[in-house]
Amino acid sequence: MNVKKLVSIVVFIAISAVVFSGGAAERDVREVDPPGGREFEWRQYEGTTLVFNFPNHVHYNAMLESGVLDDFEALTGINVEADRMQYMNMHDAQVLEMSKPIGDYDLISMVVMWKAEYALGDMIRPLEPFFDNPALVLPDYRFDDLVPAYVEVTGIAGGENIYIDGPGASLYGLPFGSETSFMIYRTDIFDEYGLDVPQTYDELTEVARFIYHEVPDTYGLTMRAASGHHATHAWLLHASPYGAKVFDDNWEPAFTSDESIETIEFMKKMIEYGPPGMVGFTQDEEFAAFLQGDAAIYLDASVFAGPAKDPAQSRVHDRIGFALHPSQRTPLAETGGFGIAIPKNSQNPDAAFLLMQYLTLPEIERRIVLAGGAPFRMSTVEDASLYDEYPEFEVLADQLVHANADWRPIIPEWGEINNMLGIAINQALTGQKTPEQAMQDVYQPIRDVMIRAGYLD
Amino acid sequence: MRKSSVPGRKNSAYLFLAPAASILLLVLMVPIFNTLRLSLFEWTMRTLNEPPVFVGLRNFRELFGSANFRESVRVTVTFSLSVVAIELLLGTILALLLEGEFKGMRLFRTLFVLPIMIAPVVVGIMWRFMYHPSYGKINYLLGFIGLGPYGWLSNPDLALRSVIIADIWQWTPFVFLLVLAGLQGVPKDVIEAAKVDGTNYAQNLIYIKLPFISAVLGITAVLRLIDSFRSLVVIYNMTGGGPGVTTEIMSIHLFKTAFTSQRLGLASAVAVMLLLLIALFASVFIWNSLKGERR
Repeated sequence: MNVKKLVSIVVFIAISAVVFSGGAAERDVREVDPPGGREFEWRQYEGTTLVFNFPNHVHYNAMLESGVLDDFEALTGINVEADRMQYMNMHDAQVLEMSKPIGDYDLISMVVMWKAEYALGDMIRPLEPFFDNPALVLPDYRFDDLVPAYVEVTGIAGGENIYIDGPGASLYGLPFGSETSFMIYRTDIFDEYGLDVPQTYDELTEVARFIYHEVPDTYGLTMRAASGHHATHAWLLHASPYGAKVFDDNWEPAFTSDESIETIEFMKKMIEYGPPGMVGFTQDEEFAAFLQGDAAIYLDASVFAGPAKDPAQSRVHDRIGFALHPSQRTPLAETGGFGIAIPKNSQNPDAAFLLMQYLTLPEIERRIVLAGGAPFRMSTVEDASLYDEYPEFEVLADQLVHANADWRPIIPEWGEINNMLGIAINQALTGQKTPEQAMQDVYQPIRDVMIRAGYLD
Repeated sequence: MRKSSVPGRKNSAYLFLAPAASILLLVLMVPIFNTLRLSLFEWTMRTLNEPPVFVGLRNFRELFGSANFRESVRVTVTFSLSVVAIELLLGTILALLLEGEFKGMRLFRTLFVLPIMIAPVVVGIMWRFMYHPSYGKINYLLGFIGLGPYGWLSNPDLALRSVIIADIWQWTPFVFLLVLAGLQGVPKDVIEAAKVDGTNYAQNLIYIKLPFISAVLGITAVLRLIDSFRSLVVIYNMTGGGPGVTTEIMSIHLFKTAFTSQRLGLASAVAVMLLLLIALFASVFIWNSLKGERR
C-alpha cells in the first residue's frame, strides 16, 4: 500500500470518527446553575452515559423542547442518550432489554399498565434504597408535593394489592407524563343553546342527545371505542362513575353486573349521538373529532388539554371550557399515563436515579409544564397565578381529589384481559351481541385466565 | 440414466450439496422446529428469564375452545379465498385486455403495478383515511348521490368486505403481471393456425390461451393464497382486527396473542395451526394444478 493511500484511509477514519461520535464531540460544557440553588455533589457521575427510553408523547416532547435534558448534561457531566419510540412499541423493546443480564436502558418511561408486570417480574428497582441514601437524594426534593394519586398509579406495586398501595407494596416509579380525566366542552355551543355543563352521566346523556338533534353539523361526545384496548379504556372510564368493576374483592369477574351493563348502554347512546363511525375510533380519532369541531364534548385523559388549546392543532382552541368528570353513583375519575423507573439491569442505577429526581424537581417540572407538559406536582396544579393561562389546572386541582388509582386492575395479566374485554365490549357496541350476552360470553375465558394465574382456584 | 463410472462421484455430490443443505436446514427447519416445540410449552413475555413450562397439548385445547380463535380461522379462510378468487379473475381479465401492443401501453402497465410497490403500512393507513366515515373520499363521493355516510371499517357487516377491497386493489396488479407474462408465452403460430381454422376469440381463449397459462394461474393462486394467509400489516393498520373480531385473521390473532396477551407458547400454537392451514390449502391448489397439467 502506498503512502498516499494510507494517508487517505487515516483521514477517512478520522473524519468518520468525528462525524459518528456525535455526543462526545459535542459535549455540553456550559455553566448551569443548579435548580433551586441546591448544594449537592452534582458531578459525582461525570462521564457516565445514560440511555433513557421514552415515548413520542406530548409530555416528553415538552421535556425535550424545554431544554432540561441539555441543562442536566451541562450540570452533571452525564451524557443522556434519548431513545424515543411510539409508545405501543415500547413494551416489547423494554421487556426484551430488561430480560438481558446487563441491559442498555438506565431509565425507562412505562405506561402504568406495565408497572405491576415489571415490578413483580423483578425487572425494575424499588426506589426506597435510593431515597434512603443521603448521598443520592437532592436537598428539598419535596416528595410529598407529587400528586398522591399519580404516585400510587405510576409508582406503587407489589404487596397484597399488587398494583396499588397496600401491605408489602413498594415504590418503583415516579410520575412523569401522568394524567387523570376531565371534560372539555365547546363554550360557544353551550352558550348559544343555553346548555348547562353536565354534572352527572344522566345530564351528559341528555346534553349529547340535544346537541345531536339540535345543533347542525355537530355531534355530542367524542369517545374511543375500537375493538380491544380502546373499547376497554372507554368502558373503564365510564364504569368507574357508574360503580362497575372488572373484579370483585376476591378476584371473581364482576363485569356482568347491572352497573357494567348500564355503562355499556350509556356508551351505546353516545355512539348513537356521536360522529359517524365512532365505534371504530382509536384515541387519535377521538381527539381529531374534537379538534376538528365535529364533537362538542370530550371526556377522557386530561393530557388532551394541550392539543385542544393549541391553535396549530385545534380549530376550536378559542372556544373551549374545562369541567369536572361527571359523576353518577361515584365521582371517581381515571388515573393513568406514564411513570419513570430504573431497570434492574441498568449499568448506572445511581446516575439514573439522579436524572429521575432532576426531571421531577419542582423547578424542572414547572419548566416542562410551561413548554406544554402535564403537571404532576400539587404546587403547580394549585398555583392560582397560572390559572389565567392554564384554566384547566383549576379544574384539575378539584378533579385530583377524585382521581382513582384503583379504576383499572393493572395486574401482570391485564394485557390479555384488556384485549378480551375490549373485543366483547366492541361486539356489544356494534350490535353483534347484546351487552349482557357479550359480557357473559367473556366471563369464563377471563375467569380461566385468573385461575391459570393463580388468583382463583 | 447411465450409472456413473467415476468412483465416489455420488458421495462428492452429497459433499457439494451439504453446505447449502445445512444452511437451509438451519434457517428454515430450526425456527419451524422451535415453533412446534414452543407450542407445547407455557412461556410468557413476563417470564422470559425463566424456562418454559411443558404443558403438552393444553395450548391447542385452549385454542379450539376459544370462540375468538375459531372466528379468526373462519375470517382467514373467507378473506383468503375471496381475495384469491377475485384477484385471479380481475387480473386475468385485465391481462387479456392489455396483452396487445398499443400506444401508451407500457406507461399504463407501469402505473398499474404501482400499488404492489407501496409499503403495506402506507396502504393500510391510506385506505383507513379513504374509508374514514367523516373525512374519507369514499363517503364524500357517495354523498353526491345522496348515499352514506357509512362506517366502512366500523360496521361489522362491511368491515371484512372493505378490507378485501383494499387487498384486491393492492394485489390484482401482481396477478395481472404474472398472467400477462404467461399470455406472452403462448405461441403466436398456434393462435394464427387456429384463426385460419376459423376459431373466434372465445374459442381461442378457452381452448388455447387458458390451457397454456393454467400452470401460471396455478402458481399465482398458490403464491397469493400463502401471502393472503399471512396478511397482517394492512389489516392491522386498517381495523386492528375489529369491529369485535370480524376482521381478525389468524396472523392478527397470533400477533395479539404474542404481544398483547404475551403468551408465546399459545402464539406458537396459533402459528402451527396457521402453517397447517396454509399447507393444506396450498397442497390442494398445487395438486389441482398438477392434475391439470398432466391432463
